[in-house]
Amino acid sequence: MSRELLASQKSNSGIPLDPRTKLTLLLTIAVFILGGSYEGIMQYYIIVLAAIPLLLLLAAGKGKSAVLYILIFGGSLCLEMFGLSRLTGVANYIAVAIVGILLRFTPSVVMGYFVVTTTTVSEFVAAMERIHLPQQITIPMSVMFRFFPTVAEEWSAIGDAMRMRGVRFGGGKAGAILEYRVVPMMICSVKIGEELSAAALTRGLGGPVKRTNICKLGFHVQDIVFLLICIGAFAAQIYVLAARG
Amino acid sequence: MIECRDVSFSYPASALPGSDNQAGGALKHITCTITEGSFVLLCGTSGCGKTTLTRLFNGLIPHYHEGTYTGSVCLGGKDTRELSLFDISLKVGSVFQNPRSQFFNVDTTSELAFGPENHGMAEEVVRERVKHVAAQLKLEPLLDKSIFSLSGGEKQKIACGSAAAIDPDIYVLDEPSSNLDTYAIADLRQLLSVLKSQGKTIIISEHRLYYLSGLFDRVLYLNDGEIQGDYSAKDFQNLSAKQRDEMGLRPLGLDGLKEIEGPPSRGQGASWRLSDFSFSYKHEPEMLHITEATFPVGSATALIGHNGAGKSTLSRCLCGLEKRCRGRVQDLNKSYSRKDRLKLCYMVMQDVNHQLFTESVLDEILLSMKTNDKQKAKEVLDEMDLLPYADCHPMGLSGGQKQRVAVASAIVSERPLILFDEPTSGLDLFHMRQVASVVNQVADAGKTALVVTHDPEFILRCCNYVLHLENGQVQESYSIEDSEGRDRLLKFFLNDMEKEVSTR
Amino acid sequence: MNNKLQGKDLINIGIFTAIYFIVIFAAASIGFIPVFIPLISVIVPLVGGIPMMLFFSKIKKFGMLTICGLLLGIIMLLAGMGYWCIPTGLIFGLISDFMMKGCDYKDAKRELLIHGVFSMWVIGAFIPIVVTRDTYYQSLLSGYGQEYADTLMAYMPDWILPVLLAAAFASGLVGGLIGRKIFKKHFERAGIV
Repeated sequence: MSRELLASQKSNSGIPLDPRTKLTLLLTIAVFILGGSYEGIMQYYIIVLAAIPLLLLLAAGKGKSAVLYILIFGGSLCLEMFGLSRLTGVANYIAVAIVGILLRFTPSVVMGYFVVTTTTVSEFVAAMERIHLPQQITIPMSVMFRFFPTVAEEWSAIGDAMRMRGVRFGGGKAGAILEYRVVPMMICSVKIGEELSAAALTRGLGGPVKRTNICKLGFHVQDIVFLLICIGAFAAQIYVLAARG
Repeated sequence: MIECRDVSFSYPASALPGSDNQAGGALKHITCTITEGSFVLLCGTSGCGKTTLTRLFNGLIPHYHEGTYTGSVCLGGKDTRELSLFDISLKVGSVFQNPRSQFFNVDTTSELAFGPENHGMAEEVVRERVKHVAAQLKLEPLLDKSIFSLSGGEKQKIACGSAAAIDPDIYVLDEPSSNLDTYAIADLRQLLSVLKSQGKTIIISEHRLYYLSGLFDRVLYLNDGEIQGDYSAKDFQNLSAKQRDEMGLRPLGLDGLKEIEGPPSRGQGASWRLSDFSFSYKHEPEMLHITEATFPVGSATALIGHNGAGKSTLSRCLCGLEKRCRGRVQDLNKSYSRKDRLKLCYMVMQDVNHQLFTESVLDEILLSMKTNDKQKAKEVLDEMDLLPYADCHPMGLSGGQKQRVAVASAIVSERPLILFDEPTSGLDLFHMRQVASVVNQVADAGKTALVVTHDPEFILRCCNYVLHLENGQVQESYSIEDSEGRDRLLKFFLNDMEKEVSTR
Repeated sequence: MNNKLQGKDLINIGIFTAIYFIVIFAAASIGFIPVFIPLISVIVPLVGGIPMMLFFSKIKKFGMLTICGLLLGIIMLLAGMGYWCIPTGLIFGLISDFMMKGCDYKDAKRELLIHGVFSMWVIGAFIPIVVTRDTYYQSLLSGYGQEYADTLMAYMPDWILPVLLAAAFASGLVGGLIGRKIFKKHFERAGIV
């Protein structure tokens, strides 16, 4: 289902990775591609990092997304290397800005997409419990992920009702439209939320004992390989910084 | 064992949780003892306090819902005030009315494991419990599924399983059948009989009584917050149909329904005609395929069929809400495209909260009118008994009132075709009859009403015609203005119930 | 009254974070063209006021906004927007929590201010563009020469971060006002408070 932010059902994820590994990859990509400096050998290392989401997508059989990724990232890379110096004026301003943003954001966005489509809510929450986040954080987190599809369902049901009643955009009514849509959505969601709380509490949520979790997690060979790549990135960065003095 | 000693409870005036408590839900001087292993049915009209009573049993009162509370409820000799909800959750398992809102997890296995996990049981123990419960309650086919892919009935089964995974001695169920069709209700009955055979104490609050006969061994009848009747199963069965009717209770079987007086004959030959009407999601087989179907203009038609037969899909397609729908809709004069139908039909949705947008009931009506005619709007409100609420916020009304607001705005929109999506799910006898009279009003005004429903009594009270859908196709369609048609309809519902008996 | 966060509070945080995120996401995606990205720091606080004002009315304990901020940061990380929203969410959430505690959870006027402060978490989404500016400038300089490097710098002037921060705060105040209005007009009368 496309409305979910994390999967509710296991799907074939190609190379099975522990959610903690996936998060480490996501963070590493964010640190070095989104916010990196691209100095010295890092220029080449980021290509390795950018290839990780591609590899994972291909292994998971998400061919379409992989092609799209190659087109966007590869295209921007080519533009930056060869095309930009030929443009001038306004076109150049816009192209530099867009290419800069695409190059930096795409790998991270694609990695995020991989994480949210191949990780189930239970796995994610179990991983958060394993890294010792307190239940004051894990409980709201699981409710949040549980609630995204519900809120989205309400949102689209209300949209249907608006179409049926002939309430549409236009005529400077943007404010009223937002109100018509957001207010019932919130009222419905809050009511569902109250019932959800009651149901969860009657099954012992938030008790004084430590929760257990039956979700199976663990590091395997593939996790270690990917984690080593991440460590490599940090090592390379340190080397670059040390060389600079 | 549960003991209530002189319990009174009322919700604070400002915080009425949910529309069904609007009318009250307060309890006065309840004293009763529920012995171990008994199966107790709580019945009564909406707002009689039966939901509140279930909340006292499962500890949500006083630990979750606030209010004025005197007297005491003891579980196994301990006052629930002194126990925490966490302690109570080991003894009492709860199942609620709305299958959509009682899941904490997004997949079924985690949901079954949820209770034991909260109690910190070891992983192996939890896995064992999940397996055990799934086997006992026949939930294996549902394991490892997304809850968003389940039907209402399947969700309700998982909810029971989730309560059972903690292995409590007492089960408290609050109107669990409200959103289910006859098949799903039969499954629920079977599940309850498994729990009963294990010697569990079961307390169930319900409007629909027929599926529980033979299971309950005691009935508590509540009225206006007091226990007004305490029957053994036999005494309750022996009440006459008329007595139960006067108590505002739904019948125990379908036998009495033949005598119901139907609506006047309506429709003068003209028909709505659907042809080659089909719908499918992208890359999926067709969910709906109707080569030809007709139903009379200016009368009320019931759309029946089992869950998944395509009733909701058909009504959404008819309203023009589905872009992927193909086919023609015609009346005598012209043919309507999808966009035309957005203006032709008005749907009163199952969850009516989705279609009320404005800040007052009057504005809600005016929003649907082509001209800003306040006088006319007030007349329509008066017809619907809503005039006193003209300035209230629509969301602050009770469920039945909200439904009538939606119907009123449908009427002023001057659309000829008004659809109702399961308007009586979870309603008691009185409110069901009220909705039936609203449908009658709509049809008597010359509009066509199309009602998706599982409720035979409701159909007999207001519909003239039946369209029976199965597997996305029209299985049969017939008039129920004559006794032959009525028998045919009752046979469909009886068949379902008998299937239930024979397969168990 | 027990001051520790209970199950009910924790569930409320999750619910409102989900509602808040969906509302701001829907609003932000209306103008989703790279050149308009800076506008997000205005749109998000503007529409976010509606769910937040309702959320504020349910808050009676310390820590709820900090957790909400952290969760928003985690979603932004998952959405590929980097990790900077985690610290900004935590910081502005924590400040908001202190301000909430300071007014004993019932000062309607102060709540507008709190919403302004809380809204500043969105700045985290812009940090990757701005903070790495100088190092990026260097790499552009060596690769493409002065002119191209300057082009990009013109798109992200020095003062953009404080300006965005101020814009988020100011529109947070306005958003709070809108939220307050809707709260009075609908939520109070509908009886869900």
